[in-house]
Amino acid sequence: MTDPAAPRRPFRLDARVTGSVLCAAGLLLSSFPWLLAGAVGLELLAAAFWVWARAAEDRTEQLKRWGWLRRPAAAMWLAAGIEAVVSRTGTPPGLPPLAALGPLRWIQAAALVWAGLELLAASPFARPFSDRPGPLHDLGPWLPVLLPSAGFALLWRHAARWAGVPEMRQVALFLLFLTAVLGALRAFSRKRLVASLRWLVVVDSSLAACLVALNVVPRDASLLLWVGACGGRAMLLAGELRGSAPRRTYLSHRLWSLSSWLTTASLSWPLLISLGFGRPGVAHLGYAVVAAFVVALSCWVTVRRLVEAPERRTMVRRESAVPFHQLAALLTILVGPAGLVLVWWSGFRLEWPAWALGLAPALVTGAVAWWLQRHPETFRVVPLESTSGAARGVAAAAFRSVVGVERRAVALLIGLGRALIAPSRDLHTGDAQEYLLFLVGLSVLALVLPLLR
Amino acid sequence: MNTIPGIERWLAVWPVATALVAAGSLLGLERHRRSGVAPIAILVALGWGLGQTQVERPFWVPLVVGLVVAALARDQDDLLHGECALKLLWVMGTALALSWAGIELLTLATGTDVVLEQWAVLELGLEPVFLWSTALPLSLLVGVVMLGGAPFHFWVADVFQGARPWLAPLAVTLLQVTGAGWLSFRLAYVERFPAGAQLAWGLMHIAALIALIAGAATLLVQRRPERRVGTLASLNGALVLVLLASGQPLEPGWLATWAAHLALALTGASTVTRFLPVSAHEAGCGAPLARRHPLATAAGLLCLASLAGFPGTPGGALWLRVGRSLAHAAATPLLLALGATWLAALIVTLRQVRELTGVPPPSATEVRPVPVQARVALAISGVGLVALVALRIAHR
Repeated sequence: MTDPAAPRRPFRLDARVTGSVLCAAGLLLSSFPWLLAGAVGLELLAAAFWVWARAAEDRTEQLKRWGWLRRPAAAMWLAAGIEAVVSRTGTPPGLPPLAALGPLRWIQAAALVWAGLELLAASPFARPFSDRPGPLHDLGPWLPVLLPSAGFALLWRHAARWAGVPEMRQVALFLLFLTAVLGALRAFSRKRLVASLRWLVVVDSSLAACLVALNVVPRDASLLLWVGACGGRAMLLAGELRGSAPRRTYLSHRLWSLSSWLTTASLSWPLLISLGFGRPGVAHLGYAVVAAFVVALSCWVTVRRLVEAPERRTMVRRESAVPFHQLAALLTILVGPAGLVLVWWSGFRLEWPAWALGLAPALVTGAVAWWLQRHPETFRVVPLESTSGAARGVAAAAFRSVVGVERRAVALLIGLGRALIAPSRDLHTGDAQEYLLFLVGLSVLALVLPLLR
Repeated sequence: MNTIPGIERWLAVWPVATALVAAGSLLGLERHRRSGVAPIAILVALGWGLGQTQVERPFWVPLVVGLVVAALARDQDDLLHGECALKLLWVMGTALALSWAGIELLTLATGTDVVLEQWAVLELGLEPVFLWSTALPLSLLVGVVMLGGAPFHFWVADVFQGARPWLAPLAVTLLQVTGAGWLSFRLAYVERFPAGAQLAWGLMHIAALIALIAGAATLLVQRRPERRVGTLASLNGALVLVLLASGQPLEPGWLATWAAHLALALTGASTVTRFLPVSAHEAGCGAPLARRHPLATAAGLLCLASLAGFPGTPGGALWLRVGRSLAHAAATPLLLALGATWLAALIVTLRQVRELTGVPPPSATEVRPVPVQARVALAISGVGLVALVALRIAHR
């Protein structure tokens, strides 16, 4: 029997479990076609990160780091609110269509793009989140992978609502390509594979979102291509956090190298063909060059950075009887080409030399990286270590300079906003005399205005 | 003013009765000297006022203002009460005087004090335009002030911060409901006088726009939970202005639902905010209420969420109804302002939820129990709101 004098035990939930449940529910809801479900989903996702962050040891820093997650959710609430107001269910006939209500359709598309792009690290407000691990102690380095994935899922699911608005599509494409470049540079500049993989997920999600924006392949195919690329990276990252398991054996290492390379090539192929040789309105030489650079750099990082790490420990970690890592790699190898089959099945035209040029960046860079990894003695005249170090430094400097400019611009905007909103602080000081004067002034105005008319 | 059918009237009255019971429970928190017959009489008077539809009577508005001011001024020991009473007296008194001046001008111009007849006389076009176009806005002023729409929103937050928890929500509700009733009464059948209707709807449009934008901006920068509830209440008052600006008359059923929701939601929300910490840059330990009494907290948060118009709550249905009426009227700028305001309300409410939970406190922190009266009030308000949702579903 408990002591009645004992203090009552406060009601507490385990942060890890609560956050995981919220996160799973949030991701599930985000994948539904209803905007309201998406808004609730993103709110739950933000809540999950908050729950994890508030329980972390470095909670002050973690709470600040992940506070921005409320913004995409807020943008989704706005989109859902617009949908609710103009939806025809339960309203009497005669409601004007969304397009007739001026900028509402535009604002809804902007809200969706904002939510998706911010999660994809494509917004200047929260660009570098993939640089740092998430708030959970052991799973932290893996958690940021969830966010670009949620961003892509959102953009993919609601593509009909935003990709049809030309201005939004253009803005989104620009920001996505910029993100892909910055992501590839950052992935290249980071020395640790774990950090590089997080940035590669951002790159893959951005390229896949470009496919969605351009609407050049069926939606199912773009989803499959993205699942292959990002799913593979996420599994590789998870394995990497479990003692670099995917790189421990020769077979596993080779399989993962091949699968990562193949899925990146599969994802980029239709995109590069469309940008270089697509129909008017889709083709864009500038974007094609940028995308080719991004794909080449991604493939280089994917293949070159994934070095075999033979087991050196005397006490070897116990592995499962089923070779899950190899199976996951095999599955990833299958998914990418399956997406390409869907693309071809939908009538995507492969013409010479478009298909060869579209494949070239991934193929050539991947092959060179592969060769250099197998035969490092090929270029003895060039000091590879120092060269790659310098190249990483240049990439890091480029990334930091762009992010720095963005930060200053954002700070300027925030400062302006605060200056504009400052008078509203005075509106709730509660000084009744001022309000009385204001009331008298307003009344005089009400008297004088009609006379002036 | 149209009367409400029997069943609808009952549906409108029971939430007010529920809010009264919750307020009665909060009265139990008062010290012995402060409780007694007088506070109970005040509560009964407020409840009776909420159940009345006598806005067309000339004495009603000053009576309501006088009742609330007297209720606030009664407690001589509480300086904040006196301050709130003084502010209300100054602002409402001035607004009332100006509105009366406007009504007298209209009566002088038309020769009748019956609103419907005034429109008919003015429609003849015999009166000078400047006279009625000056008198009409003046006559509406007290309604806008009583609704608490910005820039007249300060008094609502002041009352929530300064007045006792049992008094503040019902006093604010009564003032707001009276303000809405006043506007409804003064603008009844104004469409029969198109020039006047155009002027009135234009004024309502501007008033609603200012109320929404200034209210949202104020809400975003406020740090005290009680003042946040006050601003949310003023935004709920702005909903009435928005509905009028869309050119639709205030249906008695909608008005009753709005008032019922306001009474319940304000009671719960203002009670829960008494236990919440003031917003700070660094995350604090949150409120013991959330750790010790999650159900009571949930009930309070439901009230807060309903005020902010969260989807699925009774308040959300009211916001949605107003938004749809604006979409029907194709009043896009006002609709955008409403959307932005709604978003600000959601953001602040969610921020409030996080501040309430805070970060886990050190294990040695002593958690003091929350008074049972407050928890009962929270539970009553929360259950009342859930019942409102259930009734709405059943009504479909």
